[in-house]
Amino acid sequence: MSAQTSQLSRRGFLGGSVLFVAGAAVGCTSNPTGGASGGAKTTLNVWSHAYGEAGTQQALTRYAAEFTKANPDIAVKVTWTPGDYAGKLNATLLTDAAPDVFEIGDFNDSLAWHGQIARLDDLYGSAKPDFNQGDLDTATVDGKLYGVKMIDDVMMLYYRKSALSKAGITPPDTFDALVAAAKALTTKNTKGLFLGNDGLGDSAIMAVWSNGGDLVADGKAVFGSPQAAEAVAGLKRLHDDQSLLLGFTTDWWDPAALVQNVVPMQWGGLWSMPAIRTALGDDFGVLPWPAYKPGGTPVVRVGGWTSCVNAKGKNVDAAKKFVQWLWIQQTDLQKDWSESYGFHIPPRKSVAASADKVAQGTAKETVELAAKYGRHNPGAWNSAVSSLFNAAAAKIVSGQGDASSLLADAARQAQSEIDKQRA
Amino acid sequence: MKPVPSTTLHDERARRPTARPRGAPTRRPRTDWRAWGAFALLAGPLLIGVGLFKYVAIGWSFLLSLSEARGTIALGHWVGLDNYRALLSDAVFRTSLVQILLFTLFIVPVTFAASLGLALLVHRIRRGRALLRTAFLIPAAVSYVAASLVWKMCLFNGLPAGIANTVGGWFGMSAVPWLQTTSPPLYWVVLVTLRLWLQVGFYMVLFLAGLQGIPKEIHEAAALDGATGLRLLRRITLPMLRNTSVAVLMLQFIAAFQAFDEFYNLFNSGLSGAATAPVRTPLVYLYDTAMGAQNYGLGSAGAFVLTALIVGVTLLQGRVTGFGKGEE
Repeated sequence: MSAQTSQLSRRGFLGGSVLFVAGAAVGCTSNPTGGASGGAKTTLNVWSHAYGEAGTQQALTRYAAEFTKANPDIAVKVTWTPGDYAGKLNATLLTDAAPDVFEIGDFNDSLAWHGQIARLDDLYGSAKPDFNQGDLDTATVDGKLYGVKMIDDVMMLYYRKSALSKAGITPPDTFDALVAAAKALTTKNTKGLFLGNDGLGDSAIMAVWSNGGDLVADGKAVFGSPQAAEAVAGLKRLHDDQSLLLGFTTDWWDPAALVQNVVPMQWGGLWSMPAIRTALGDDFGVLPWPAYKPGGTPVVRVGGWTSCVNAKGKNVDAAKKFVQWLWIQQTDLQKDWSESYGFHIPPRKSVAASADKVAQGTAKETVELAAKYGRHNPGAWNSAVSSLFNAAAAKIVSGQGDASSLLADAARQAQSEIDKQRA
Repeated sequence: MKPVPSTTLHDERARRPTARPRGAPTRRPRTDWRAWGAFALLAGPLLIGVGLFKYVAIGWSFLLSLSEARGTIALGHWVGLDNYRALLSDAVFRTSLVQILLFTLFIVPVTFAASLGLALLVHRIRRGRALLRTAFLIPAAVSYVAASLVWKMCLFNGLPAGIANTVGGWFGMSAVPWLQTTSPPLYWVVLVTLRLWLQVGFYMVLFLAGLQGIPKEIHEAAALDGATGLRLLRRITLPMLRNTSVAVLMLQFIAAFQAFDEFYNLFNSGLSGAATAPVRTPLVYLYDTAMGAQNYGLGSAGAFVLTALIVGVTLLQGRVTGFGKGEE
């Protein structure tokens, strides 16, 4: 190696370096994601997580191009972000490369508390009553709107009709029945139920809700309640029976385990339904997470993505214009986004009414379940708070301690976290 | 875009300038000035880069650790040692410190013994040494992320069709979810085998270099005196490898304390954080705190606690093994 470097002339080295740097600079500035066009005064940087369904990236880029057509002075650069989206977004928000517009999954209040996202009340205009009240509520922090919900994602149980009827099992409508069904469907080589590779997924949250408990209410972490402890401790039965699929190659948000016939029941999202229908035809059904015991209630989780504007960005006005144009005004694009790739429920009631693909068959059942049993995560459910809760739940289901004391402890820490963030 | 090939054209010219200063000492003041200019030009960017991106960042991070900084890295809201207090009173962080200590105490001796043993074996064979050396070194070029995915999805997935479970099936074992089984903690099998596969080859090469540096005469003299086998190894080879061993140990300690990639990638679901993982290293905890919960003050404080731990252990190890004292 040293023999080679001594042959480098200084001028040659410098010349080479300059060429290399110039090449790298050209390589970095040319835009690989498309969407931007020449002659625009402002370029908006729009971030999206990598949706799993084919065609989504192209669709978003197409929307951006249409926006630029309508507003020639604003170009839009769409950045598709695979991997740990929240982590990358949080890190980038601290820098000059921060996106002007970005989506966040399961909106929580901390970005608004930190002053990182702009108020968007004035964008809604006359369309506000047309938005689903639950979607307005999730994006509301201390009475002000900080985002526009793009899509509602419903999460519920999928099951294979044929597998259940073959085993002589009716779709479980109580938690006891779910435990029994999962156990009955478990054989030497297959498991009965897939909740997530960690054995939890959303199930701890669902358990609390299904037993009449709550997570955070009126700024108080209340998941240390007896109902919560009882229901989370109940999940341990699924683990003790060894009827849960663990360590699959994809996680619960992907339908692979169900469509590859690895499990007959899986926690999943409405977004997967087109893929599931393609693979299984009509041989599947959906269920809410069953009531923990009589007096409890079945639940489905309603999450989804919210479009926000970086309050510290350089192009706040243009960013607001883009969000308003796409996620409030362009109802046909919202419809396209909700039903042409994965299935989602459009937050605008009029769009939801016109989304005919989501309004038939099993998708329609899911929409009705969401209307009847749907629960949103509370606004204070940020990563610090949810981590405390889920870490406690993981300990409980693996038998490392008493449910009520673990949850009470986690709730106490979560409370101090919430208080500090609000301060 | 490769600048390298063009330099071979300047072969002849390149040699002349380097030869000039030696041959003409009278022109020293001018060449000195030019040398300084060249030094500044070449070393300047590096020094500025290191200063800006390392030391300013470290200093800033230290100030952050004394502030309440949520969703911002701006300074100003000073809270003294509150972050350190919160961190050390957090059972999760303390558990992660205990776990990383236990992990280090286990993985360092095992990696050390495995790489030394492998180096001794590879050093002994006469034919195909280069081939074996390369074969063992290749895993060191694989990224932790890629290896974690292979381990998680192919080798140690929870399906009966997973490779580990298939092999277990030949011996009548039923399929187990390797990463999710907490009693007994089978996930350590995955974590340890992954780290060994990735690291042993690299340290083996360091040991091989050390072995090749031992003069043949010493071994021959020892052999003439009747030393063979284990005695030769203990009395001659290992003492001669002392410097290499100390350096390898230090590298392994630091690598173990900084464990993150495989712990994160094996237990992460692709959504948020790794809260449900059966084991979280300090760095995973800090990543969740800073990148997930945007609590940069607490994250920085944790970084300094971890750094202090690494520096402490390295100093202690240097004292015990006499690192840097030299052979003479």
